[in-house]
Amino acid sequence: MAEERERKSATTDLTRRDFLEGSAAALAATSATPALLGAAGSGDWADVAVARAVREQTQAAPSTPITLTVNGTEHRIDVEDRWTLNELLRDHLDLTGSKIGCNRGECGACTVLLDGEPIYSCSTLAVWADGRAVRTVEGLERDGEVSFLQQAFIDFNAPQCGFCTPGQLMTATALLERNPYPNAEEVRAALAGNLCRCSNYNAIVEAVMAAAGTLPGGGAQ
Amino acid sequence: MSPRQSAPQVAPLSTVGRDTPRIDAYERVTGRATYTGDLHLPGMLYARVLRSPYPHARIRSIDVSGARALAGVRAVITHETHPDVVYGSGSIAGGRQYSDAAKDMTLHKRYMFDNPVRHVGQPVAAVAAVDRHVAEEALELIDIDWEELPFVLDVEEALEPDAPRIWPEGNIGLDFRNEPQPMTSMQGDPAAGFAAANHVFEDRYTTAFVQDAQMEPRTTIAHWEGDKLILHTPTQGISNCRHDNAKDLGLEDHQVQVVCRYMGGGFGDKNGSYYFDLIAAMLSREVGGAPVMVELTRKDDWLGTHGRWHTVQDLRVGVTDDGTLTAIELRAHSGMGPYLRRSGSLSGIDAYACSNVERVIYPVHTNRMVSGNFRGPSEPQGYFPIQSMMDGIAYDLGMDPVDFALKNMLRPTDEIRFTNYTLDQCIERGADLFDWPSRWRPEPGSDPGPVKRGAGMSFMMFRSGVGPSSAILRVDSSGRFTAFVGVTDIGPGAKTTMAMIAAEELGVPLSMIDVVWGDTDRCPYSVGESGSRTTIMTGYAVVEAARDLKRQIADRGMPQGDAVLIASATPTPSTQGMRRNCFGAHFVEVEVDTELGRTRVTKYVAVHESGRILNPLPARDQIRGAAIQGIGQALHEDLLYDFRNGQPLTAGYYGARHVTHLDVPEIEVTFIEDDDGFGPFGAKTVGEAGIILAPSAVANAIFNAIGVRMKDLPITRARILEALA
Repeated sequence: MAEERERKSATTDLTRRDFLEGSAAALAATSATPALLGAAGSGDWADVAVARAVREQTQAAPSTPITLTVNGTEHRIDVEDRWTLNELLRDHLDLTGSKIGCNRGECGACTVLLDGEPIYSCSTLAVWADGRAVRTVEGLERDGEVSFLQQAFIDFNAPQCGFCTPGQLMTATALLERNPYPNAEEVRAALAGNLCRCSNYNAIVEAVMAAAGTLPGGGAQ
Repeated sequence: MSPRQSAPQVAPLSTVGRDTPRIDAYERVTGRATYTGDLHLPGMLYARVLRSPYPHARIRSIDVSGARALAGVRAVITHETHPDVVYGSGSIAGGRQYSDAAKDMTLHKRYMFDNPVRHVGQPVAAVAAVDRHVAEEALELIDIDWEELPFVLDVEEALEPDAPRIWPEGNIGLDFRNEPQPMTSMQGDPAAGFAAANHVFEDRYTTAFVQDAQMEPRTTIAHWEGDKLILHTPTQGISNCRHDNAKDLGLEDHQVQVVCRYMGGGFGDKNGSYYFDLIAAMLSREVGGAPVMVELTRKDDWLGTHGRWHTVQDLRVGVTDDGTLTAIELRAHSGMGPYLRRSGSLSGIDAYACSNVERVIYPVHTNRMVSGNFRGPSEPQGYFPIQSMMDGIAYDLGMDPVDFALKNMLRPTDEIRFTNYTLDQCIERGADLFDWPSRWRPEPGSDPGPVKRGAGMSFMMFRSGVGPSSAILRVDSSGRFTAFVGVTDIGPGAKTTMAMIAAEELGVPLSMIDVVWGDTDRCPYSVGESGSRTTIMTGYAVVEAARDLKRQIADRGMPQGDAVLIASATPTPSTQGMRRNCFGAHFVEVEVDTELGRTRVTKYVAVHESGRILNPLPARDQIRGAAIQGIGQALHEDLLYDFRNGQPLTAGYYGARHVTHLDVPEIEVTFIEDDDGFGPFGAKTVGEAGIILAPSAVANAIFNAIGVRMKDLPITRARILEALA
């Protein structure tokens, strides 16, 4: 059976981990990829079912303790080395705002900010977030108030089905923090990696333009 | 062109007709909106589905012992463990999927797990495990001894006598008598019509498969409470989804609860159940009723759901010297995949006034993936060929295509009466807003230099029929009203629209209305959000319920203390034999780089009459989004196959080259408003209307730019370069 499995995995697609690890090796010279620290103990999740599930798997799946900040809160957590950042956020930190549309880096629904830069959380291993700051759509409100960008999304009907909306918001947030007064062409270029199958592209661009100059750190001009 | 008439206008109302942000917009911009995949129920297991890697194959044996032995695996099901579960609504075409009798009698049953399998991506087994990694690993441990069978992908080859047989009855879809027959219609005397023509034009057009490709991959959670099944699933129609699943599982409707609070895109093919609802239900039963979440990967979803049927269409059109149509003939093949999930019908010819018309449309089975409904199921791929033909005929007769349209489009007659008719106004207003005379080149392809501009237009009429649906309204002593409506809000903002209708009819502010939606245990029957029916039908039920509630309040006063007043309505309105349509015309300018083959849309004007527009903000975006989807169909999207091995090659957003922010023009939308006295406050269809015209209008503009008729969708760079070579 083991031999049979070996043959199968050689002929089927690369696994996500193979793929991402390959990318990581290529990136290692320029990014802070954390070292793998080997297998570690159980996690500390409140949900009993998940905890049991994970314990059953820990013999087979190596994990690594990491520290990361998510929406301003520091988390120390054991993550399986095969988890993506999206899995960590959605399944283990209960932040389900960022979505999985394709799970293969095509659609942008999973976009979050990693140290302020928009990234596809489906194509980022959780261990790579060690020591870094993550921002998700749940972190856009301030003191219970939606951001100007979120309000513009409401006013301009930017969400139709709403599934791509968190990703569009995160990319647009990063854009406006970097470039507070983008023109429409710059908005479209920044959001090129965020698909909307409702194709509400016109309204999304209008909403981002309407929020120009309103984000903290970006509105000083 | 004829002189402009003044457009009809409707007086504004209190709530209806004003730009209104969605009542759930806050949830949608904060990540609080919970889609099915966001739910985690206590003790929930994760499931994955193993799919056929072959286009046509028989399973000689299937060994799941390795998967069962893997730590963390809780259940494995296959065609051997569950041989008798039929996916009824996936087995039969068109409106028949709502008919239990048709589900029972069809010879072409689509099983939850079928053997033989008939397309790449067809489910063959499913695993439930403690997490999704274990479930995925378990799939790799399932051993199948396959016997590959001959396959066929081309719709015309499939009808050759020696073609591989996908069904014993052959490769033509079965009609409602279980006979393999094409859909035919005949009016007048086409032979006489062609004989009377001064010119007969003949051409072949093809259109490609287009995946609905909703952003949310299909996800279903099933669990059992005793003999009651609870399903969380992204559906466009909770009522139909409940009934389909109950029927397939041998349950009564009341034994199934369907919940869909938020869902990530509809576009047509989700008004009912899916086979993975059945898979989730069966896996859950295997584990004592614990919740099981079946998640489709993007590739699973792409190949294992449905999309717009691809077609090959041969058209003949007879016309006199003065541009009068004498006869139209259509012979078409619609590629349905191996199961007849929908009809394969084609619209578009019916928008022309011609008394001699013959249509023969073969729904053809192939070993491609299954086709289904996508926003205007029969329309964009039906309109593209006929509106391209007519555009070309106008040039050949030396006529302006706009004048040719106004001359030959269907108008009201003594036999064909409309509740109202504004198509001429849509065309004239569009031509005016677009500045047709300055953008359209009388001599196609006449721009100097390699980058050429051109303009094209097309027009349509589309059903806006009235029909039955239900709504319940309640008022309590606080003076708040609650609307119970069986909608799921797939994107157009149905919840908000229902609340606006209730507020308008009750004469109270929108803020006084709460909406209960998306749960069959809490909401009455709704037709479901397909066929652009929710606003018209469920919306009208809200109007009727509100009238009843107002009468009760007038009779008995507002409720006091713990009392409530409740009104329900299931109206069955009728247009008394009149045709009720919405109308539209699209005008497009393109720029074609004849050296690179690249097409860019530089101006897009869409004029629609959809009755009274209840909420202009999302209505505008329904048209804009639909037009952009249509541009994708015109220029980008396809599902290519390797004909040597039957493998699909472009399953995914990247492969199918979906439009991005970088590809889209600004769509300029104008509504001509009217109130024909039907529907809620005169509202008509919006959601599907906008996608119908983009492929034909874009293609006609490309002809005007380059002087070569592009007859195959999508109009890719390669095809343009080939046509110009």
